Amino acid sequence: MTDAVADSSLRPPASRPASAVRVRSYWGSVWHRLRYDYVTLFCLVLIIAIVLTAVFAPLISPMDPYKSSMAHRLRPIGYHNYLLGTDEQGRDILSRMLYGGRVSLTMGILPVALATIIGGLFGVVAGYFGGKVNMLIMRTMDVFFAFPSVLLAVAISGSLGGGITNQLLTLTVVLIPPLCRVAETATSQVRTMDFVDAARSTGASTLSILFTHVLINVMSPVLVYASTLVSVSIILASGLSFLGLGVSPPTADWGLMLSTLRQSIYVQPIVSAIPGVAILITSIAFNLLSDGLRQAMDVRA
Amino acid sequence: MWLYAGRRIVLTIPILLGVTIICFALVQIAPGDPIQNLLSPTATAQDAARLRAAYGLDQPLMVQYFIWLGKVCVGNLGMSISDNVPVAGEVLHAFVNTIVIALISVVLAFVVSMIFGVIAAYRTGSLADRLITAVAVFGISVPPFWLGVILVIFFAVDLSWLPATGMGASGSETFSYFRWADFKFAIMPIIALALPPLGIMTRTTRSSIAEILNQDFIQTLRAKGLSEAQVIVHAVVNIMPQAVAMLGLQLGYLIGGSVLVETVFTWPGTGYLLNKAVLTRDIPLLQGTILVLATAFVLINLVVDLAQSLIDPRLKRS
Amino acid sequence: MLSRGIRGAVKIAAIAVLAWGAIGGRASAESVLRVAMTAADIPDYTGAPDQGYEGYRFAGYTLYDALGLWDLSSSTKAADVVPGLATSWAIDPNNNKRWIYKLRQGVTYHDGCAWNADSAIWNFARVMDPKAPQFNARHVGQMGTYVVNIASVDKIDDYTIAINTKAPSSLFPYEMAMYYMISNCGVQKAGNDYNVYMKTPAGTGPYKFDKVVPHERLELVKNDKYWNPQRIPKHDRLVLLPMPEASTRAAALLSGQVDFVEAPSPDTIPRLKDAGMKIITVPYPHNWDYMLRMDVPPFNDIRVRQAANYAMNRQDMVDMLQGVAVAATQTLIDSQPWYGKPVSYDYNPDKAKALLKEAGCTPCVIKVGISTSGSGQMQPLPMNELVKEQLEAVGFNVQLAPMDWNALIGVFLTGAKKYDFNAINFSMAPIDPVQGILKKWMTAYAPPACCNWGFFADPKVDQLGNEALGEFDATKRNALLTKMNEQAVADAAELYIVHDLNPRALSPKLSGFVQAQSWFQDLTPIVVSP
Repeated sequence: MTDAVADSSLRPPASRPASAVRVRSYWGSVWHRLRYDYVTLFCLVLIIAIVLTAVFAPLISPMDPYKSSMAHRLRPIGYHNYLLGTDEQGRDILSRMLYGGRVSLTMGILPVALATIIGGLFGVVAGYFGGKVNMLIMRTMDVFFAFPSVLLAVAISGSLGGGITNQLLTLTVVLIPPLCRVAETATSQVRTMDFVDAARSTGASTLSILFTHVLINVMSPVLVYASTLVSVSIILASGLSFLGLGVSPPTADWGLMLSTLRQSIYVQPIVSAIPGVAILITSIAFNLLSDGLRQAMDVRA
Repeated sequence: MWLYAGRRIVLTIPILLGVTIICFALVQIAPGDPIQNLLSPTATAQDAARLRAAYGLDQPLMVQYFIWLGKVCVGNLGMSISDNVPVAGEVLHAFVNTIVIALISVVLAFVVSMIFGVIAAYRTGSLADRLITAVAVFGISVPPFWLGVILVIFFAVDLSWLPATGMGASGSETFSYFRWADFKFAIMPIIALALPPLGIMTRTTRSSIAEILNQDFIQTLRAKGLSEAQVIVHAVVNIMPQAVAMLGLQLGYLIGGSVLVETVFTWPGTGYLLNKAVLTRDIPLLQGTILVLATAFVLINLVVDLAQSLIDPRLKRS
Repeated sequence: MLSRGIRGAVKIAAIAVLAWGAIGGRASAESVLRVAMTAADIPDYTGAPDQGYEGYRFAGYTLYDALGLWDLSSSTKAADVVPGLATSWAIDPNNNKRWIYKLRQGVTYHDGCAWNADSAIWNFARVMDPKAPQFNARHVGQMGTYVVNIASVDKIDDYTIAINTKAPSSLFPYEMAMYYMISNCGVQKAGNDYNVYMKTPAGTGPYKFDKVVPHERLELVKNDKYWNPQRIPKHDRLVLLPMPEASTRAAALLSGQVDFVEAPSPDTIPRLKDAGMKIITVPYPHNWDYMLRMDVPPFNDIRVRQAANYAMNRQDMVDMLQGVAVAATQTLIDSQPWYGKPVSYDYNPDKAKALLKEAGCTPCVIKVGISTSGSGQMQPLPMNELVKEQLEAVGFNVQLAPMDWNALIGVFLTGAKKYDFNAINFSMAPIDPVQGILKKWMTAYAPPACCNWGFFADPKVDQLGNEALGEFDATKRNALLTKMNEQAVADAAELYIVHDLNPRALSPKLSGFVQAQSWFQDLTPIVVSP
């Protein structure tokens, strides 16, 4: 999981801003390329489906995910009405998986979104203004880069303690530095481009240059990079839950379910493996999607 | 070159200082009290206060930090609270266990990923390429601790081929990688550790080789009459500087990120130590472990950067 | 036996188990007992164990003796204190604050140092006298509570000491069964440096220290000169391995890495049985309960406390735990002499609802501190989820606040008033009346003095307690303690849930183990067949 951060973070994708000068046609060509990339499209559909089942969990869950039954503990897949069996407290696994997706997907997407905004902002500011501002921001980030992400996550989470808010905070802090660095690299490249100089010479304000020119060109490498981090974030979150630093029970969450069902792995190995499989599939889907996006957006890895 | 190296080394110092501040701050904001663990279930508050004073935990924070930093600079990481032994020795002992297994894992992952990457790049779109890509995606997508649990069930419990937990038949102190009875303890941790870097390096190798194979000079080589094997060797040699740098980075990440896998297999390395320190709220041990790991990570990055600029001066970074 | 481990590794588990002993390069004739503990680390083995009472079980009573010892030889009656390093003790007939202890003669520490009155007095100074060279602040933290009632210790002759208590203390011998004696010569030879001493710690116990690999294993060997010949270990070596994860312990037992596993998770038990392992359970005082905060609403109202107790469907909990627990309707178990004939809060949800309504607590919002794991906490997460569900079924609204085990120990030690918890899930082993009754319910033992976490206050209970402490006749004292216990139950002073049966799983090659009705266990009778 750390390694996936390493994969891209220390080798920030270099953008090709020149190709994006004519904005509409760039996104048009991205869509054009995506349309014929069936693997990516399939992953996109899969992810949308997973997200939808999580969002509409209260409507589609066959049972109450918190209703336990001592008489029906650890039942196999397909037992009576329990499509995916039951857990150690006799709760319906399918319902818990649907509800658990809400927490797990949130832990995958929300920290990345927050880190993209915060890290991206710092990165753009550092890249655009350069000099002392850049020095201050990037050297601070360097300090955080001195910690492999798992180590940093365990250190922060271990200090703050478990719980959903702390987990969110931890993941966001861990993801900010790599996103900041990507945004900074992309921005400093854009800054020296001719069209930025041109805009500056026409007297455009710094803010308007940032918004009209810089942000748009920085967006694609940052978004592509952020999409790779979703699976990192999901796996990292499940790892924290595994160490007892995640959400608190009885909240349904894939990582926590994986951790508690591990005790039952000798009784119902297949049922116990379900949360792990869900994490794996979601993570693969996000990884393949970000690969596809990267190719379609013509961002070099 | 020397200027670059010198500047790169000097830049490392403030980073390391920042690392110490973070290490110290993180541990201080934590809830829980390390002293409680040492007290008997029926001890009184006076007992606790006496013990707290004995460990210097009643001093102001800044004082505690500078006292700690001063000691760190002379290699004294304090005494572990739960074991009452020097932290430096504890961490170093564990660090050796971690770095050896991380090295084996990363070298294994490197070799396999080079082979996989070349095959996949050379036969893009073939069944082999798709299989290899699938393995690589699996590697970076699977939660490593979950993989560890699955491995234990198959190879330790069901098949009884490999031991489930621990390091060596009589503990890590007499462990030898060259004795089968000991080495079999390392097999499952190595696999669980190697898979994520294998995935990452396979993907990178595949795309780098594919890119090189598309370049003009390869066609020129072919036209000159070089065999396909020679062409591939050429391509591999071409990506070596980059691949070696990648190897170093992955090593750094394995050393710092092995906490989950080490916990699953009770491998007595730094990750396992870290997990224990968090659980027992052993402040000096936690600080020492994080500090050593982060320092190692910074130094490995430094070496990688320097090595890279040595091999390939074009890669000199600002 | 097998000379190399390789053959075993590729065959079935049973052979792998045999091979193990040979792999370590030891003489193949040596019989080795390997135990997986639930502790996260090796407990302190210098005579002041940490890691809760599991530390006492494996690194305390194995290496060391106290003046009195728990009789762990029977699984049918509750363990009580019998002579250990003292052969007898009695209160001074002329002074009810002076205990006379006759010491056992002819006992030596593992390093050859002699056990006598001087050694005993030296051992008390180790924790009581900050000016003594052997004073050890760590040991104070762990053992200080057992000497808190001692005013001074006098030598009468080489094998007799007098211990003066600060107040009449009829239950003092129980405290002396927890205080270990370590070799004074050993510490002196180490220059009073306990870090040097810990390389060769010496007690008088049935096992001798052999070696330690930090965090991984503690190896003890049989003391064949032990003063009690019946308790000389029937195996040569005892290897203690910390394995906090229940699934790791199960995997280690199934793959033949260990022979004796503490607290396998209930769900793994059928699988372990299938593999031929012996599962042993015995009821002993190990109360898995909620301690209640009784100085503020809602639990200051006895009706709310009773409602919570009536809401418990304890059979459901026992079912979930696959029968490795028994329903608890009070702190003690019925084989203890102080159990009495207390009221029993059997499952009655209608009565619970009515009581809550009467108390005007609807919904009755409570916050409960729980741990995520920990020695004696059983399976805290699913169990607490079930308690929450049952309480909410009658009108409570429960918020669970999970934390690390040590953090929860901190909450317990500092007392309810420092936190906003209405209850904590804190398991205790009320093995003797000091811990099970006196220190739990008397106002004098409210934090920080000791363990009355929730500030329970009942003048009747206090009065009975003071009478019991001044009563040196065992029968009369037990009658007082019984009344005291009955009164605490009538007051619904806790939320009683279950008693842990503390399951253990043993490899089929072990025999002779007797699971005592105690937190502590005697490993010495175990025979390891090849």
